[in-house]
Amino acid sequence: MKFQHGMVAPLVALFVGVVGFPLAYAFYLSITDYRLTSHGTPKLVGARNYVATFGDAEFWHAFGTTALYVCVAVGLELVVGLAIALALQKQRWARDLTRSMLLAPMFITPIAVGLIFRFLLNDQLGAIPQMLRVIGVDYDFFGPGRALFTLALIDVWQWTPFMVLLLLAGLQSIPREPLEAARVDGASGWYVLRRVTLPLLAPVLVVAILLRCLDAMKVFEYVFATTRGGPGTETETLQYFVYQTGIQFFRLGSASSMAFVVLLLVLTMIVIAFRRMEKAKTS
Amino acid sequence: MRGLIALAVCRVALLWAAGITVLFPVVWIALASVKTPEQLSDPFLLTFTPTLDSWRNVLTSGILAAAGRSAIVAIVTVGISVVVGSMGAYAIARYRAGGTATRFGMLAAQVLPPAVLVFPFLTMAYALRLNDTLIPVIFAHLSFVLPVVTWFLIGFFEAVPRSLEEQAQVDGFTRFAAFRLVVLPQVLPGIGAAAIFGFTLSWNDLFYGLILAPGKAAILPVAIAGFNTFRGVQIGSMSAAILIAVVPVVIASFFIQRRLVQGISGGAVKF
Repeated sequence: MKFQHGMVAPLVALFVGVVGFPLAYAFYLSITDYRLTSHGTPKLVGARNYVATFGDAEFWHAFGTTALYVCVAVGLELVVGLAIALALQKQRWARDLTRSMLLAPMFITPIAVGLIFRFLLNDQLGAIPQMLRVIGVDYDFFGPGRALFTLALIDVWQWTPFMVLLLLAGLQSIPREPLEAARVDGASGWYVLRRVTLPLLAPVLVVAILLRCLDAMKVFEYVFATTRGGPGTETETLQYFVYQTGIQFFRLGSASSMAFVVLLLVLTMIVIAFRRMEKAKTS
Repeated sequence: MRGLIALAVCRVALLWAAGITVLFPVVWIALASVKTPEQLSDPFLLTFTPTLDSWRNVLTSGILAAAGRSAIVAIVTVGISVVVGSMGAYAIARYRAGGTATRFGMLAAQVLPPAVLVFPFLTMAYALRLNDTLIPVIFAHLSFVLPVVTWFLIGFFEAVPRSLEEQAQVDGFTRFAAFRLVVLPQVLPGIGAAAIFGFTLSWNDLFYGLILAPGKAAILPVAIAGFNTFRGVQIGSMSAAILIAVVPVVIASFFIQRRLVQGISGGAVKF
């Protein structure tokens, strides 16, 4: 065996073991009527689970909820993250300390973040609703119509730092000359940002948005820590819905088919994003 | 000129606001961990005699054992990932071994929703009577830590000049010895960053642990999730447990933040 093949073989073998095989097995589960509670071999049911998933109103509701959550969270993270990255780029005083501190939330255990905010935003005990009450605002963060938005804000708290990290790196790799040329020509700061900085930053922006969207789609911990899908089914996200189907109702077959539909959606998103990037490169 | 000053004021104000937003919840939790249940019902109470009751409760409860199990899972996962991943990443970076498929696989596995893989792990664990042990959790964590660590390392290995190994081979090293004794020391900082990042990924994961080991082998995030019954008495203990989970990884993160961008971008962007 050639040296390089021997070096890569353990990686490929382990990768097939922990990703490839489970993936194939998950596909097998998705075409059976497997239940965690039943004994004996599960029956093959073909595409029945998939047909059921596509016709399942609750699944599409969870899909819509997740899509709304991702749009709100990643949209806010992009705007806030860009502002903070631009501000940090010019920061000189206590530079490393400021950066380390502002980036810290992305390393905190998400379930802990969820519980911290459940406590902080709690209607009776929480500090933030009580402060709001002092200025005369009565706002129930986990009430109907608000809970999903609150979850998105928790996501913003934890993951804006990731946006900042990538955009800051992008900003620092932008060549200086076009910026200086624009300034010499008397362009305003806003004009430079819109017409010079952002276009140059576009590749990093696309990657940052894509990575955040893919990660935000998997939201589970915040829902599990705070609302458990409620009020009603308002905050039932895809990952939480699949978890419920598989673990609370033991329907592993249907849950696996749902997970595969989610995977299909993820892959579609990636393909579209890459197409866009290719187009941007050629034009 | 006035515009520039206004802009500078906005910039500083934004950073202060961001800093306070980041610190406030953490400071609040730290305060809550040294309050009595009665003091907890008054959020504005800032001057009080701190009590260590919650900390005592947490340290005698199962939280420390759960933290130990989390550390075992993370260390074993990262250990395997670093050894297997660095060999593989080197072969991929230098010799294009495994072709585009292997390289793409490492990237694609990072976006795989955990809901896809978790049920196979669960049924296999049941079949082998390993459910509610750490072994399926380690396998599940390998499914996302291994690709991330390998992806990081491909970038770091590509940054090492080829002439180093060529010189080593001229000097009579075998290819493996050149890898181990000449190339590896060059990427050691990168390996350290990848290892710490992999550790935080494993340490922070709730989903796999919750499904594969919800009972006596619960890892730290699962144990912390158990505090969500939310009786007033438990908030102090919950706060202390959260701090135990958060502090180690946040401190570790300070050492790797600079290399993180380089790792995520596969070595393309340096910070």
